[in-house]
Amino acid sequence: MKNMVCVVSHAPYASSHSLEAIEAAMVGAVFDFNVSILFRGEGVWCLLNDQDANLLRQRSIAKVATALPTYDIDKVYVCSQAMEDTGLGEADLCVPVTQLSPEEQGRLINDQDIAIGAQS
Amino acid sequence: MIFTVAVHGAPYAGQSNHHALSFCNAAADAGHLIQRVFFYHEAVTTALNSQVPPQGETDIVAAWQQFGVDNHVELGVCIANGIKRGVLSEAERQRYEKSAATLADGFELVGLGQLIDSIANSDRYVEFPA
Repeated sequence: MKNMVCVVSHAPYASSHSLEAIEAAMVGAVFDFNVSILFRGEGVWCLLNDQDANLLRQRSIAKVATALPTYDIDKVYVCSQAMEDTGLGEADLCVPVTQLSPEEQGRLINDQDIAIGAQS
Repeated sequence: MIFTVAVHGAPYAGQSNHHALSFCNAAADAGHLIQRVFFYHEAVTTALNSQVPPQGETDIVAAWQQFGVDNHVELGVCIANGIKRGVLSEAERQRYEKSAATLADGFELVGLGQLIDSIANSDRYVEFPA
């Protein structure tokens, strides 16, 4: 089984990048990859509770992200620095997360066979 | 080595598309196998058969087509990203009752699953973000 990490670093509704990175993680899980997902930078906003995407006529990214555990994706990581910068706490997020320092994120990505979205 | 390549940037905008094409040609010339190129995000417009390259610039569509034919590489276009930007195969044209099919020869509309499947069977996955 290959290890795959999907990195989400874009703000939730500014582009379709974040939603599609989460979807890629889910497809990876369907293909039996050992999937991790890392939210960093502006990407941590994707996990904010109580998003009302109806105002933007879009799907709620938090609602999609909430389905990650049903795809057996329980390795959900957030950048600790981004949490500090945004003032978000784990209680503000829609799924249980593990915080990683930038060094730990480097090790996480280094340990993978495939990294999706790691540069964008 | 077997590669899967994903392109994110639109043709004629930034360097993503052009770099990906150069990488693919260089890798193939060096004897590597490009298993599949996956056009994602804005890069799906690479497959629009209605675009005309600016005078004096490389015809990126023709260059990709040539690369695909020469190396027997599948040029996959993300179907979800493609159809919302007007990239329609004849089948999709009929399904959505549009006036013209716009998918250039040599390209194919495929799902995200085909990208993941190709990655699973490659030694390396290389992404060209916008």
